[in-house]
Parts: sequence; C-alpha cells; structure tokens
Amino acid sequence: MPKIQFKITLCDGTTCIRKQSKQIHQVLDRELEKHGLKDKVSIHLSGCLGMCAKGPVMIVNPGYAIYGSITEKDIPEIVESHLLNNKPVARLIIREDHLYNRFFRIFGDVDFFGKQMRITLRNCGIIDPENIDDYLSLRGYEALAKVLTDMTPEQVVAEVKKSGLRGRGGAGFPTGMKWEFTAKQPGPEKYVICNADEGDPGAFMDRSAIEGDPHTVIEGMIIGGYAVGSSKGIVYIRAEYPLAIKRLEKAIAAAREQGLLGKNILGSNFSYDIEIRLGAGAFVCGEETALIHSIEGSRGMPRPRPPFPAVSGLFGKPTLINNVETWANIPVIILDGGEWFSSIGTQTSKGTKVFALAGKVNNTGLVEVPMGTTLREIVFDIGGGIPNNRKFKAIQTGGPSGGMLPSEYLDTPIDYESLAKAGSIMGSGGMIVIDEDSCMVNLAKFFIEFTQDESCGKCTPCREGTKRMLEILTRITEGKGKPGDIEKLERLGAMIKKSSLCGLGQSAPNPILSTIKNFREEYEEHVSGKKCRAGVCAAMLSYTINDSCVGCGACKRICPVSAIDGVRKEKHRVDQAKCIKCGQCYQTCKFSAIDKA
Amino acid sequence: MVTPLDIIKKKRAGAVSRIISKGYLSTKRVYVGMATCEIAAGSKDVMEVFRQAMANGLTDVYLSQKGCAGRCNLEPTVEIVEEGKIPYKYGKVTPQRAKDIIDKHIKKGEVIHEWLI
Repeated sequence: MPKIQFKITLCDGTTCIRKQSKQIHQVLDRELEKHGLKDKVSIHLSGCLGMCAKGPVMIVNPGYAIYGSITEKDIPEIVESHLLNNKPVARLIIREDHLYNRFFRIFGDVDFFGKQMRITLRNCGIIDPENIDDYLSLRGYEALAKVLTDMTPEQVVAEVKKSGLRGRGGAGFPTGMKWEFTAKQPGPEKYVICNADEGDPGAFMDRSAIEGDPHTVIEGMIIGGYAVGSSKGIVYIRAEYPLAIKRLEKAIAAAREQGLLGKNILGSNFSYDIEIRLGAGAFVCGEETALIHSIEGSRGMPRPRPPFPAVSGLFGKPTLINNVETWANIPVIILDGGEWFSSIGTQTSKGTKVFALAGKVNNTGLVEVPMGTTLREIVFDIGGGIPNNRKFKAIQTGGPSGGMLPSEYLDTPIDYESLAKAGSIMGSGGMIVIDEDSCMVNLAKFFIEFTQDESCGKCTPCREGTKRMLEILTRITEGKGKPGDIEKLERLGAMIKKSSLCGLGQSAPNPILSTIKNFREEYEEHVSGKKCRAGVCAAMLSYTINDSCVGCGACKRICPVSAIDGVRKEKHRVDQAKCIKCGQCYQTCKFSAIDKA
Repeated sequence: MVTPLDIIKKKRAGAVSRIISKGYLSTKRVYVGMATCEIAAGSKDVMEVFRQAMANGLTDVYLSQKGCAGRCNLEPTVEIVEEGKIPYKYGKVTPQRAKDIIDKHIKKGEVIHEWLI
C-alpha cells in the first residue's frame, strides 16, 4: 500500500455544509483521481472546527495549512500547488493570531501530532528557550501587558473561573476558585508558588515544559501574583533538573532586564519578583503542605488541611500554589479568552492535558490532547500501538498514585471524573503502556516499593501499611504467597486509603487495588499455582533444555554460575539447584532449545 | 499615557528585529532539539557539527536550539524550515548524519527521505 502523504480534514459542520462543503468534497475527490493521488491522500470529515465565519474550512496536514472561504474553483489550484508541488497556496490560508497550536505549522508529523492540541506546550520545540526575544516575538508577555492595562485583579480571577481550568497537578481543584480564595484573604503579604516538584517515575511533563518554554510559566505566575495581590513568587523545582533550573534562571534574569519582573512592571504600579527554591527530590514534597514546609526550611512533611494554603500557607501567609502546567495555561486563557478555553474538552474538564507517554508503545513522547480524547486514541493513534506485535495489556495513569486499566477501559474519555470512575486517576500526567510481557503483580510491587520508600513516616497507616503491603507482595512474587494474602492486601489497601494523612498515602494502594480488581486471576495464579504467566517473577521460572539442543556449548559458556553441563555435540542439561534464573542462556541459544516456564 | 500594552508591543518589535538581524530571514532555518532528553540522546554533538559548519562558511542558514517536541523515541531531532514549504524533520540524527544533511539537504537541496520522521 502506498504511504499516505497528506491528510485533509474537511469541516462538516452545518455552516460549512451550507457554504457548499459537500460540493467541494466532490471536486476534491475528482481532482485527486485526476492526478492519481487517491492513494496518497486521505480525507476526513470533522465536526464544526469553530471557524464558521471563514467557512468552508479545509485543513491540510502535514504543515497544518488551514484553507478558509474556499470555493470549488480553488480546489484544482490547491491540489496542484500544495499536494503536487509542496507549495501551500498562501492567499487562501487563514492566518490566525491565537496562541494555541502554533506548533502545527512547523511539524510535518501527521499521525503523532494530528490528534494533539497544543496549548501549554504551544512553544515547546519551536522557540529557543534561552532567548527571550523568541518568546516576545510570539506575543510573549502580551497577556501580562493586557492584564496590567485593562483588567482589574477581580476581572482576571473571573476570566480564569470562566475558563473552567482545573489544577493540573493531579487533584483537579478548580483553579479559579483557588485564586478567588487567595485573593479574598487580607494582605499585603501573600505568596505565589509554582510547584515544579515532579516526581512520578516515568513522568517528565514539567521538566520539558520548563526546558522548552520557561517564560510562559513566569508570565502565568506574574499574572497570578497580580490577580491575588502578591508581590513574591517562588518556583519550587527539584535539584535533579539542572538544565530546567539553568533555563529558568536565565529566563528570570532576562525578564528582569526587560522590566517584566521587579519594581513597577511595564511602567505600572505592580511590582513582583520570582525566586527559585531547589527541592532535594523527596516525592512527598510535591504535596503542597509538605512543599511549603520544605521552603520554610523544615522537614518536608505534610500537615492536615484545613487551613488550606490559600488561608495559611508559606510562613503563615495566604499562598497560591499551582502546578507548572496550570501556570502555562494562564497566558492563553487571558489572550484567547476564558470562554474559548472552556469550549475545549468535556463537561467537567476543560482544556488540554499533557501526558508523558512511555512504556511499551511505538511512539514514546510528550503529547498534549484535548480532554475527552480516549485512551485508545492516545495509545494507538498517537502512540502508534504496541511494538513487536505484542498485545496490549493495560495502561497505567497517574504514576504511583494511579491505577492500571485493562483493555475494557480503552474507550474511557480522559477527564478527571471518567478516570476516577474507571479506578485510576488523572494524576500529573504519567502514562505507561503495559504489554503482555509484564507481570501485573511485579509491577504493583514496583510502585509500592517506590511509595514505601518515599513515605515520609509521619502517619502510621502510610509508614507501616505500605511496608506490610510490600512484604506481602514480595512474598507472592517469590512464590511464597499464602492463601488469604490477596484479601489481606485488599483490606490493608482500603484502610490505608481511608486513614492516611496526605495524598501520598491516600493513593499509594491504588496500583495494587486496581491490579487486584482487574487482574485478580494473575494474583491467584501466583499464590496458588505458583505461576507467573508473563515469565517475570524469577522464583517461579525454570529453564530446561529440550531436544533441539545441538550441544554447541554456548549456554554453558555464558552461564555465570556454571549450572549447565553437557558433552559437546550432545544435549546439555540445567542443574535447577544451581540455576539463578538470570535468563542469559535463553537469550544466547540460537536453536530455541531452551524452554522458559 | 504609555500603557503596558504599548510598551510590550515596542518590546516585541525590538525582539523581532533582533531575531531578524541574527539571520532569521535566511533561506533555511535549522533547529536542533536541546532539552535534557535530546542532549542525553546526543544532540550536543549534532549541534556542534552545525556550529562548525556555520563557522566554516555555511551561509544563508539560521541556526537555533529548541526545546523538546515530544518525539522521545526519535531523538535527537533536527528540523529544517523553509518559508512557504512544508518543514522537514529528521529523527535519530548522529554527527555523521548531520554532516550528510548539511552536504545534501542544506547545500544542494536534496532531501534525505529515509531519515525523515
């Protein structure tokens, strides 16, 4: 089959149909036929693209050329010039001045970028992050100037509320309400914090956002400071991100030099400055109260809420704390409007979400999709499916606090509520694809190992409970599971969730509980059958040599514990008592003579 | 009275002219990915090849770094953008490939299709 070179999206909304989009479709079909392009171009019809005034609208990818107000007569020209000669027809292209999706003009990568929508990552991968001029040239800091010129702090809060933006750190608290609470607290001393303490294994959204476009976070924070009446911002970022820290420092210095930070910003009465605080890399410091303690110089441990940081936060003062991704949305909401922002996404979750797609998937990477996109679209359309023809087994969202969803849940639309209903969480955006070669019990053990290690130890359920869960899981994966272990895990998990002090403990049992719920038979096989179907848990494995053995001796030479014996050119055998199940013989054998079971 | 909006517009104009004075309007613009992930995949060496070529008299090219575009499995990435044309994006670029890209694509306009994403 010839490779598809172009994807054309035709708007099939009511207005465009009224403006003859159906006839245009016919002409397009005819022209493609005429030039023999039928196999190289695919045509998609889409719902209303929201550009009714300029309809009929047609988007050609790669290149993201939006043709507007086209007529049947324009089609031959577009086909000949754009599709055949690679020269988009400039006079018909709509040039819009919105902030989102600037990316698409630069990237010619159809499948990977086709379903994405870039708001927070709009500049990531197009501008030079170390040059403030690049950011300024793309309407950078215009949102700040607009706010300082014609908006009162109340209007800014109202705009953010209107957008429906919710916290991107994981819990999904409405951002506008948080701002309103903080704004209402008596001043004058208030703090604004950017939580860049990203700690989920396999997650790198915040790091990439800061490394790719640090100024958008800074601009968001200044606007936040203006809205709540604060003059001091702090970015709490982990010390393990040296390049992100360097770029952020450089960006802050450049912004100061341009009069965008410091006293009387852009000639107004508003003064604001930002400093960077480095975290030592404790996972619990991503929790807001622990983070605040860490900035204050105390041990990073959470405390019960209320009082919420909006009332009594850093040094007992009202504090507005948001995640990197939340901040990066702010300039877009101000310039493109809260109403526009709320038109993207689902009923309860607005805008887009960035995910770090990792694990057993062809296209690993950073993706930003509108809320409501299904998990299937992310894994198979954007991610390109599972490598090596293996089967999809589960998807893990939300890192060590999230759950693992099997294939029945692939059509779950991504929003805070749907994911919670399915038994996982949105989280900060880690997304790990798991194929049939992974053992769910072992994976659950990995996550609980992590949370157990990162538990700060303040409350007993989390400190002791995760430890006991790890012990039970270790026992099961070593083939020493006892009847009743699974039920014990369920009971313990439910208790830890209910009685832990902070989000770390309350969500730590999620990976275990969701795997028990969705993959109970694997647990049962481990406990009663002493069998690991994925062949991961070493204690339940044995390697034996079958009759295909030609006696080449390759396995004997590579075995690190001399567990393989045999005469040259005769069948070898494995001494099970000596074998440590490292699997090197299995990988070395060229004759498929070693069985793993 | 001068408003903050007026000031920012002036700043933007200044920024644009500074970028242009650095050669932004050259026929080809080359972007090399330089985030932690890209650097780990070897993009610093690739960047060096382009810098060297510029120092050795490669003209009509605007060279810049950029952040992570999200294509982790294909890094390091290099993009070549020409005004009015669909951008070309190379994946898994090594210093050797970078030299070939300079010789073939940038100097002679021959796109190396098998390395494109």
